[in-house]
Amino acid sequence: MNPEYSAKTRKKIDEIVARYPQKEAAILPLLHITQQEFGFISPDSEKLVAEILGIKPIRVREVVTFYTMLEREPIGKYHIQVCSNLSCTLLGSEKLIDYLKGKLGIKPGETTKDKKFTLTLVECLGACEQAPCMMVNFDYYGNLDKKKIDKILDGLE
Amino acid sequence: MAEQTLTQHFGLKDFYKIDEYVKKKGYEAVKKALQMKPEEILEEVKKANLRGRGGAGFPAGVKWGFVPKVDKPKYLCVNADEGEPGTFKDRYIMNHNPHMLLEGIIITSFCVDIHTAFIYIRGEYEVIALRLEEAISDAYKKGFLGKNILGSGFTLDVFIHRGAGAYICGEETALLESLEGKRGNPRLKPPFPASVGLFQSPTVINNVETISNIPQIILNGADWFVDKGLPKDGGTRIFGVSGMVEKPGIYELPIGTSLKDIINKHAGGVKKGKKLKAVIPGGMSAPVLKADEIDLPMDFDSLVNAESMLGSAAIIVIDTGTSMLDVLKAVTKFYSHESCGQCTPCRIGTSWINKIVKRMIEGKGSKKDLDEIVRLASNILGNTLCPLGDAAAMPILSITKKFRKELESHL
Amino acid sequence: MVKIFIDEKPVEAEEGATILKTAEKEGISIPHLCYHSAFPPEGSCRMCLVEIEGLPKLELACSTQVRDGMKVFTHSEKVVEARKGVLEFLLAEHPLDCPICDKAGDCKLQDYYDEYGLFESQFRENKEKREKKDAIGKSLLHDEERCILCRRCVRFLREVTKTQELGVFERGINSRVNIYDLAPIDNNYSGNLAQICPVGAITDKDFRFKTRSWFLKSGESICPLCSRGCSITVEYHPGFYRLNVPRRVYRIKARENQEVNGFWICDLGRYGYSYLNDNRQEKIVLTNMKMRIEPTWESVRAFITEKLNSLNSTGKMSQMAVVLNTWLSNEELFLVHKIFRSDLNVEKIIVVDPPQSEADEFLLTPERSPNRRGAQEIGFDIKPASLKDLAAKADFLLMFGSYIAGPFDSPGFKDALKKTEVKILFTPHAHEMNSLFDIIFPTALIAEKGGSLTNVEGKVQGFTPVFEPPEGSLSEWQILKDLGQTLGINSAFYKEFTTPEAVSNKMKEEIPFFREEK
Repeated sequence: MNPEYSAKTRKKIDEIVARYPQKEAAILPLLHITQQEFGFISPDSEKLVAEILGIKPIRVREVVTFYTMLEREPIGKYHIQVCSNLSCTLLGSEKLIDYLKGKLGIKPGETTKDKKFTLTLVECLGACEQAPCMMVNFDYYGNLDKKKIDKILDGLE
Repeated sequence: MAEQTLTQHFGLKDFYKIDEYVKKKGYEAVKKALQMKPEEILEEVKKANLRGRGGAGFPAGVKWGFVPKVDKPKYLCVNADEGEPGTFKDRYIMNHNPHMLLEGIIITSFCVDIHTAFIYIRGEYEVIALRLEEAISDAYKKGFLGKNILGSGFTLDVFIHRGAGAYICGEETALLESLEGKRGNPRLKPPFPASVGLFQSPTVINNVETISNIPQIILNGADWFVDKGLPKDGGTRIFGVSGMVEKPGIYELPIGTSLKDIINKHAGGVKKGKKLKAVIPGGMSAPVLKADEIDLPMDFDSLVNAESMLGSAAIIVIDTGTSMLDVLKAVTKFYSHESCGQCTPCRIGTSWINKIVKRMIEGKGSKKDLDEIVRLASNILGNTLCPLGDAAAMPILSITKKFRKELESHL
Repeated sequence: MVKIFIDEKPVEAEEGATILKTAEKEGISIPHLCYHSAFPPEGSCRMCLVEIEGLPKLELACSTQVRDGMKVFTHSEKVVEARKGVLEFLLAEHPLDCPICDKAGDCKLQDYYDEYGLFESQFRENKEKREKKDAIGKSLLHDEERCILCRRCVRFLREVTKTQELGVFERGINSRVNIYDLAPIDNNYSGNLAQICPVGAITDKDFRFKTRSWFLKSGESICPLCSRGCSITVEYHPGFYRLNVPRRVYRIKARENQEVNGFWICDLGRYGYSYLNDNRQEKIVLTNMKMRIEPTWESVRAFITEKLNSLNSTGKMSQMAVVLNTWLSNEELFLVHKIFRSDLNVEKIIVVDPPQSEADEFLLTPERSPNRRGAQEIGFDIKPASLKDLAAKADFLLMFGSYIAGPFDSPGFKDALKKTEVKILFTPHAHEMNSLFDIIFPTALIAEKGGSLTNVEGKVQGFTPVFEPPEGSLSEWQILKDLGQTLGINSAFYKEFTTPEAVSNKMKEEIPFFREEK
C-alpha cells in the first residue's frame, strides 16, 4: 500500500516545511498530518515523510517510536485514553477503568472487534481539576462517573 | 486582594476572540513596548523579579540577559508542554486568554531581537492548539504579528509546534531537540540555550504563564508587579488545585499566599467527609508535605526551606482514605514511563523502582524493599543528565521518608 | 595552560581541555563508557562523574572543561558511591552472559566491576528480555540485552561513515539500538562497530566463539593491504610448540594514529588477515634436479652469487631480470636498488603489483599494496609492467613476490618463465605456480620483520615485528644484505647492516625524502 497525501494536504505540508530553517524540524507536524490522513503511520508513510524531508527513513522510525501519541498500527475509530495519573487515581479512575474494560470487553492496549473503540491508559492529561478524566480522540471529558461514560460512548457513532 | 490580571476575564463570553480582548486594554502593552527601547524592557522585567512559572523558577529577565547580542537569528520557544502531573494552568491561559500570551510573545521577542517564535504545545492539547492558531491568525490580520508590526519596523512570526506525548519534552533542551525533529533527549549543559539553542542559535525558552505576565509588567510597571507578590518573587501565580478538595480548579493569587489558605479558603477545603493526609505543593516532582506541614507561604524560598519546591504551583490534595502505596505507584509508574532512556541512572533506576513497587502492590514486597527503593532513588538523585532524574527521586524519597510506617503496614 | 589539581596533585592542563583528557595525559584513568575520543562528549553513561571542589553536584569528566585552580577528586567517597551506583544500574539489567560472551576479558563492564564494583547484585526483579542474536549486517551480531545504550555505534554510523544504519527506538527502559527493517549495515567500516562497543552487544561473527581474549597476545603493525598504511594491532595466539599447534592470528584491531587513519580501519584490512595464517611457503624447495644446491640459504646464496658474478664478468647483465612488488619495505627496495641497479647495472627491474581495485572515499586506496610510494621515492619506475619485458629472453630471473597470482597467472608469463634459464622465487606463500620456478625460498611477512613503509600520502612509517617468521624463512632485507655482501662488489657497504634500523639510517643518509620528519 503506497500512501499518497491529498493535494490539499500536500500543500499544507509544503507550507509547514517552509517554516523551519532545517527541513527535519517539520517531522512532528508531518507525522501528525500523516496520522490524521491515514489513521496511523505505516513503514510506507515513514518512507514518504523521509523523502519529503530529505532524511533517511530510520530517522523517522526513531522519532515515531519515541512519542506515545504516534500510532504504528491502525486503531479504532475512537481512541479512549483514560488518565491513570495521581489526581485521577485519587478520584477513582481505577474503578472507571475497570468499568470500561467490562463495558468494551477489551483490555488497555486493545481494540474492539468492530474496530470502533481502542482503550489506552495514559499519563496526566492536564485536566486534573476535572478528575477523573479521559480523552476521546482529542476531546476531553472530565468529572466522569459510570453514567457519564455511558452517555459519552452512546453518543459516539 | 491583588488584581487577578491573568484570569480576571476568564468568565467573559468570547474573551478569547481578539475583538473582545482588545476591548479590555488588549494589545495596549504591545503598543507601549514598541515605543520603548529593548534595554528598557529588559530592565523592567528584571526589576519585576518575574521567576519562571514552569517549574524551575529561573528569573526571566536574567535569562533574557544571557542572550548574546549577535547578528544571528534568535528564537523564542514558549513551553506549552504542561506535562507536570497536577498542572493545568497553561491550558486555561491558552484557552481563555490566548491573546495575552501572544502579547507577551511579541514584547519578549521585541526585547531580545527575536523574529521567529514557536509555541511548543503538548500533542494532547489539540483543541487548544486550534484555538491558538485562530488567535494567531487574527493577530496577523490586525497587524499585531508579521512584518512591520504597527509600523514599528519590528517583524515577528509565530508558529505552533505540536508535541506528541512525551513529558520529557517539557525539559527545555529536550524541547529544543524535539522541535528540531529528533527524539526528545535532553542536551548537556553548558552550552546553555541562551547561546546555543534552537538550530544552534541563541534561544529563549519560557513557560506560557511566565510570558503571559509580561504585558501587565509593561503596562503597570515592575514596582506594581513586585508589590503584588514578594520582593524577590514578584506577581501572582495561578495555583492549580486538584485531588480531594471541594472546588478543584485554578486560583490566581499573590505569591506568598499560604498553602493552607489556598486549600481551605479558596478551594473549599478537603472534600466533605474526608481528612487531610498529605499535599503535593508543586506538581508531582515536588516532595510531599504532611498534613501538619501546610502552614507555609507559597513562594520559591519558603518551599525550599520546607524541603520541597514551588515548581509548577500544582497542588494535589491527598486524603487519609488514600493509600500512600498507591500514590507511590502513580509516581514510579509515571517517571519510568516518561524517562527518555538516554542516561543510565534514570533509564534503569526508574524502571527498577517501578518493578519493586509493582511487586509490592501485588503483595510480594517487604520492608527491605523500602530500603532498597530509598537506596536506588538516592543513586539517581544528582547523577542524571537532566532534572527528570531528580524529579523522580525527590517525591519517592519524600514519600518513603514521611510515610514509612504506613508503607510498611501495607507489606 | 592552566593549573588544576587532580586528587591533590598539581597538573598542567591545556585551556579548554576536558578533565578526562587532562587526567588521561597524566596517566590517571577515569572510568567511562559512552565517551570516545572520536566523538564529542555524550554524557549519557554517567560513569565518569567526578567531584569538583565548590560544586554541589558531581560533574562529568568527559565534558567539563578545566578552569584555572579547579580541584578535582576522582576517588572521593561521593564519587566512589556514584560510580558503584551507575555500575549497579548497568549490571541490574545486563544479562549474565560472560561465560558465552566474546567480549569477556576485553569488556569495560567487567573491568570496571573488578575495579570499582565487587558488590553483590540486589536486583530481585525480572530482567528485560530482548533480541539476542540479531544479524545486523556484514559479519556483525547484535545482542540487545547486553547493550548499555552508550550509542557509540549509532554515532559512528552517523558521523564517520554517514550511513546511519543503526538507530535508537522506543523510549525509557524499552530503548533499544537496531537496524531499520532489515536494512542492514553495509559499509566498508562495519568492523569498527564491534571494536568500539564497550560490551558484548555488537560482536563479530569472524571472532565468535573461536577463542578467549586472554589467550591472545598482541603486537603493533601496519596493514599492508592497501597503500594507506593504517596502524593496526595484530591479536594472535602464539601456539603450543610441543603440541604442534601453530601460531594463529585471530583478529586485527584498529590502532589510533591521528596522522594516517584516525581511529579506524576498513573491513578489507580488518578481515583480510588470512594471509598471516594460511598457505605459507614452509621450506626451501628445489624443483630443478639439475642444480646442485643444498636446501639452505648459504647454498642458494652461493649459487646466486656465482650466477650473478658470471653474468657480470661476461657483460651479459642484460640477460638478468628482477621482478619486485611493492610489499617490500623501503629498506628492502633500497637494497634492491643498491645491489641490482648501482652495483650490477641491471636494467630489467620490473615492479608488478596486484591489480588496482575500488577505493572508498575514506581510507581504502585503489592500490592494493603498501609501498608504491616508497618504490617511487627510491627511484623505481612504477609503470604497469608488461610481460613483454619479461618475455624477451632472460637468462636469470630473481623474483620477489608476495602475490604471484593475478597478472602472472597467464600463459604469456608461464611461457616467458619457460624461456628463462634459471628462475628463483622468494615468496612467503605457497601457490601452485611456485613450482614453475627452480628454487622457491620462503620469506617473512611485514608482521614478522622490521622496516618502514611509505604510504600514499608520503608518510614514512616504521614497523617492528609482531612475532617471529616461520623457521627457515628470512626477511628480504636479510637476504639482500647477505647477497650484497657475498657479491664482493661493495661488501663493506652491506657488512654494517645487522638490523633493519641500520639499513634505514643509511637509506635516510642517501635519500633526503626519507630524512624528513613528516
